[in-house]
Amino acid sequence: MALTGRAGLVAALGIVLVMLAPQPGAALAGVCLLLAAAIVIDLTFAGAVRPLRLHRSGDTLVRLGQRATVELVVENPGSRRVRGVLRDAWPPSAGATPRVARIDVPKGERRRIVVTLDPTRRGDRSSVAVTVRSLGPLGLAARQGGHRAPWTVRVLPPFLSRKHLPSRLARLRELDGQHPALVRGQGTEFDSLREYVVGDDVRSIDWRATARRHDVVVRTWRPERDRRVLIVLDTGRTSAGRVGDAPIPMAGATPGGGGLLARPDARPVPGWPRLDWSMDAALLLAALAARAGDQVDFLAYDRAVRAWVGGASRTELLSSLVNAMAPIEAELVEADAQGMVAAVLSRARRRCLVVLLTDLNGAAMDEGLMPVLPQLASRHLLLVAGVSDPRVAAMAARRGSAEEVYDAAAAEHAQLERRRITARLRRAGVEVVDAPPEDIAPALADAYLALKAAGRL
Amino acid sequence: MSAPVDGSLAPGGAALGEPVVTRDGVVPGDPPGGSAPTSPTLRSTWRSGRLIVLLGVLVVLIAVLGVLLAPQRGPSRPLDPADTSLAGSRALAELLRGRGVQVDRVDSAEAAARLATTGGPRLLLITDTAYVDEHALAAIPGDRLIVGDMPGLAALAPEVHTDPDPARTRSREPECGLPAARAAGSAYMGGTAFHGPPGAALCYPSTGEGHTLVSYARSGGTTTVVGDGSFMTNLRLAEDGNAALALNLIGTGRPVTWLVRPDNPQVAQLPGERGQSLTDLLPDNVRWTVYMALIALAVTAIWRGRRLGPVVTERLPVVVRAAETVEGRGRLYRARRARQRAAEALRAGTVDRLTPRLGLATGAGGQEVVAALAARTGQDPHRVGAALYGPPPADDAALVALAAYLDLMERQVSEL
Repeated sequence: MALTGRAGLVAALGIVLVMLAPQPGAALAGVCLLLAAAIVIDLTFAGAVRPLRLHRSGDTLVRLGQRATVELVVENPGSRRVRGVLRDAWPPSAGATPRVARIDVPKGERRRIVVTLDPTRRGDRSSVAVTVRSLGPLGLAARQGGHRAPWTVRVLPPFLSRKHLPSRLARLRELDGQHPALVRGQGTEFDSLREYVVGDDVRSIDWRATARRHDVVVRTWRPERDRRVLIVLDTGRTSAGRVGDAPIPMAGATPGGGGLLARPDARPVPGWPRLDWSMDAALLLAALAARAGDQVDFLAYDRAVRAWVGGASRTELLSSLVNAMAPIEAELVEADAQGMVAAVLSRARRRCLVVLLTDLNGAAMDEGLMPVLPQLASRHLLLVAGVSDPRVAAMAARRGSAEEVYDAAAAEHAQLERRRITARLRRAGVEVVDAPPEDIAPALADAYLALKAAGRL
Repeated sequence: MSAPVDGSLAPGGAALGEPVVTRDGVVPGDPPGGSAPTSPTLRSTWRSGRLIVLLGVLVVLIAVLGVLLAPQRGPSRPLDPADTSLAGSRALAELLRGRGVQVDRVDSAEAAARLATTGGPRLLLITDTAYVDEHALAAIPGDRLIVGDMPGLAALAPEVHTDPDPARTRSREPECGLPAARAAGSAYMGGTAFHGPPGAALCYPSTGEGHTLVSYARSGGTTTVVGDGSFMTNLRLAEDGNAALALNLIGTGRPVTWLVRPDNPQVAQLPGERGQSLTDLLPDNVRWTVYMALIALAVTAIWRGRRLGPVVTERLPVVVRAAETVEGRGRLYRARRARQRAAEALRAGTVDRLTPRLGLATGAGGQEVVAALAARTGQDPHRVGAALYGPPPADDAALVALAAYLDLMERQVSEL
């Protein structure tokens, strides 16, 4: 049961009536009885909420930054018209509108309500409850009831770096058979024989085939294929730190944005977590590697395996990846490097390119990855990619006052640590990509292409 | 070449191929309609709430029984001859009755005046005047005993003036010639001290000028004023000469009219102008309007208080800037004025960046760097050496200058 503002208004008018009446006691009793009777009538003749049936349909997948629509069909099998309001309750970061919809469903009929979702962060968003408030004929009181109509929309990572894909694919084609290399080199394998045309390097003539075919035949080469790439995403505490500017406004990007606990004095915290930038880079790398004919596997790890995509076919790889990535959030625990190496070694039997997306944090690396690095580097080719913080770079350049110089010194110290760890990794034979958030995805793709061109896969 | 990937890269979830994990909205066990009501029925509400209702009824029953069965004990009424609490004076009243003194307990000036008109002379014992008209009391002839300072004292005993210094209530010696006090000896006296008219008996002096018992004769009888009534209470009656003093003052053989505070005094009963109280003056409508306003408030509260569905909570990811540790370190440097560490970091950063540009190996020593840098920029080698490897800056200004000089050298190297 619920009362409406109209009931409050009637009671307020009753105050005036009682004030002016010659017999105020009787007037009060009359007003109250009348109001109570009207409320009882409303509750009796309001359409029943319990027998309502709700059906859902619509999107189950949406990319972050795009809009999903979910349709809710309200079917009224009861004996009275259901008129009132309906609230489809979603978590705040699902961005559901309208929050409350007016409904008017005659008996035996059905009405459709379209709820649009503008999600503000990755992950699974489930409808919590549907509440219907059915008004009585006088509009003074209403019946209210809840329904469970489950529906889940998975919000996928946006894959913003796909704009870099065409240029990287062009580079790949230069390496690839479409621009066949006539010179045999490291990292190429035999592709095919074809007739000699003027301009071809005479050194690539295959004399044995020429003798068989009575024609001059050259060998062509192409970059090696069917290599394995294992992308490892570190979901430990260091990947929770926010860097750069969020390309899509994210829930929680400003603390308490619109929430009840909003602190007006709090400075906005810009940016995305390192994890999201890393995912973006991983998606670009996966798309490129799949296109280059390599087998791509994906592992997310902090102290346990958070996600594993293995052996996905090239056509399904990207959708598998975004689905596996969608619910991953950074865990506030120190990543277990030993466990991660063990997980990688148990999954990658053959030599492969292990791309570790983590933070090049000196202390965390010294404690975690450095001691176990030889185990991994001896079996596989390791590429460590870290998202650097442009804010630290900006701090290091500040010279305005003594305070800013102190800040700059602190930033310089952090950058030195980063360079030190990078140098140590490179000495250990590990490829390192260290780039600001906007550049990490293309930088990682370029590093992959360079490795591919050098035939080091 | 593998199958084209471009198709699956198109924006929108639909083009992403068959999703690995999907929910079609129907969970096994759901009703065929795809939804299930969650609001409780009347029966389920009763089933889940009956234990609470039962407990509530039990608690109310026990409370009601306890109140009904408990002995009637109201709050203590000080100096009331019918009150048996420590502050009451039932013991004194019983002692008086045992000596054949008639004690009449009254709670209004009218009743006291009515008693005064019947029979012979009486003693009027006044313990409280808050709810009576002191002028009506003052008009009653005969002896009177006034206990404590009270609002109508000026009318009842105009010759007596109160001393501004109150006296601590304790055992005091009479130190006067009044027979009643001398016979009783020391008594628990104090409270207000008074100054009496000339010729009055002044007993139980306070530390100041005043006395806590003043007795004098006036035209209608004797007036006695006592600073405090503690000596008459059930608590103190057995101590000292309290009982003797009380019996000597009150038990003179004449009937006693014992004026006390009314049992249920009401503010509205206080005599106002023309005998009308506040509620008498208010029109009837006001009271009913207030009631109606309360009802309207309740209706509005129910309207606003009913929520449309549950509050939805959500686990949000932590919000923390990655640069926070660096900023924290910077603030520590500032707070401790750590010029040495700050200068070291700045110098190390500059050397680290300049070494490859100067064509030196990464492990090059300080001398080599300084020499190469001085040669490249044309600066004084000593100055370059002091900037890169010299002592830490003496103050903040020197630190800022050092940072500027390092910047200058880096710029020169990159431009040349």
